[in-house]
Amino acid sequence: MSDIGIDLVPLDEIGAMAFWLALIVGIYLLARRFQQKVNGHPLANTVLLTALPVMFLLAVDKQAMLQYEPAGALLLWLLGPATVGIAVPLYTNFHHVRRSLKPMVLALVAGSTTAVVSAVGIGWALGAEAETIRSLAPKSVTTPIAMGIADKIGGLAPLTAAFVIVTGIIGAISGAMLFNALGVKDERARGFAMGTAAHGIGTARAFQEHEVAGTFSGVAMALNGIATAIVLPLIWLIAA
Amino acid sequence: MRGLPGLALAFALLVVCNEVGNWLSDTLALPVPGTVIGILILLAGLLATGHVPDPLRRMTAFLLSHLNLFYVPAGVGLMGYIALLRRDLLPIAVALVVSTLLAMAVGALVFRWAAKGDDGEGME
Repeated sequence: MSDIGIDLVPLDEIGAMAFWLALIVGIYLLARRFQQKVNGHPLANTVLLTALPVMFLLAVDKQAMLQYEPAGALLLWLLGPATVGIAVPLYTNFHHVRRSLKPMVLALVAGSTTAVVSAVGIGWALGAEAETIRSLAPKSVTTPIAMGIADKIGGLAPLTAAFVIVTGIIGAISGAMLFNALGVKDERARGFAMGTAAHGIGTARAFQEHEVAGTFSGVAMALNGIATAIVLPLIWLIAA
Repeated sequence: MRGLPGLALAFALLVVCNEVGNWLSDTLALPVPGTVIGILILLAGLLATGHVPDPLRRMTAFLLSHLNLFYVPAGVGLMGYIALLRRDLLPIAVALVVSTLLAMAVGALVFRWAAKGDDGEGME
């Protein structure tokens, strides 16, 4: 996953990669601009608004997939170091974590377990194939960690990655509405639940709503990534 | 260290933590993914140092504020699984929507219940 293959790459491939990289970043910047124009409406999700045009371009021009792939691989690779960076907000907000330790631990255990058990249970009850269910299990965890978990439990890592993105978009779009309907006003609770269920995409959304919500969401994303990564493969090992 | 060299060094540190994590995960056949080990290594380093170097703070803030860009290829990857999606579309769609809403509801309600009485006093 970390091998971006810089040996013997012909120049025109580097050109194609630079072109696709510029294209994706360009669409992403436009998506951000649009999101600001509509005052951060939840439906104006930048992952959705960037991925859909890219998928459309790739579907129209079948040849383009070969040229797109190195650029996609580079961005995906960057997720690894970017995710390691979660340690910094985790460290800076250590006092929040300490002061709200009890609600955090309980909400983490409850939210994390619900995310895994309900996804696996629904997939199984509705007759999904085993590889689909294994790929669904870590869907609430941020991509590089979820792909790692999928590898360990026999799921398809790239499929898991896609499920993670869809999960994040669903959470980011519906979170505020759901919390309002439930009457949950505490920004800590809203953010923490968002980060547990919808990782970084939910966290980006939470930061648009409130800084406290964003901070707790980021902490929840980190904690849930660590917790799920440790617990889920062990459960799978025992169950198998 | 200021400016670009500091930021480059901060980025290199993140890459090294991630790669060491991956290497440990593979070599020791740990059930935990490398990125999680990378987070724990960096966190241990920060706890030992007692502060966050400014370039590291700026680099991680930049990367984390653009996480959505880095998520794009993973979403685009859905295109490679049209056949599997066709077969399992209903269970996948129901599982993703219901499970995400359930996890958010349970997480928020449990947090509010467990934090009852502290009224956000944990916040400055």
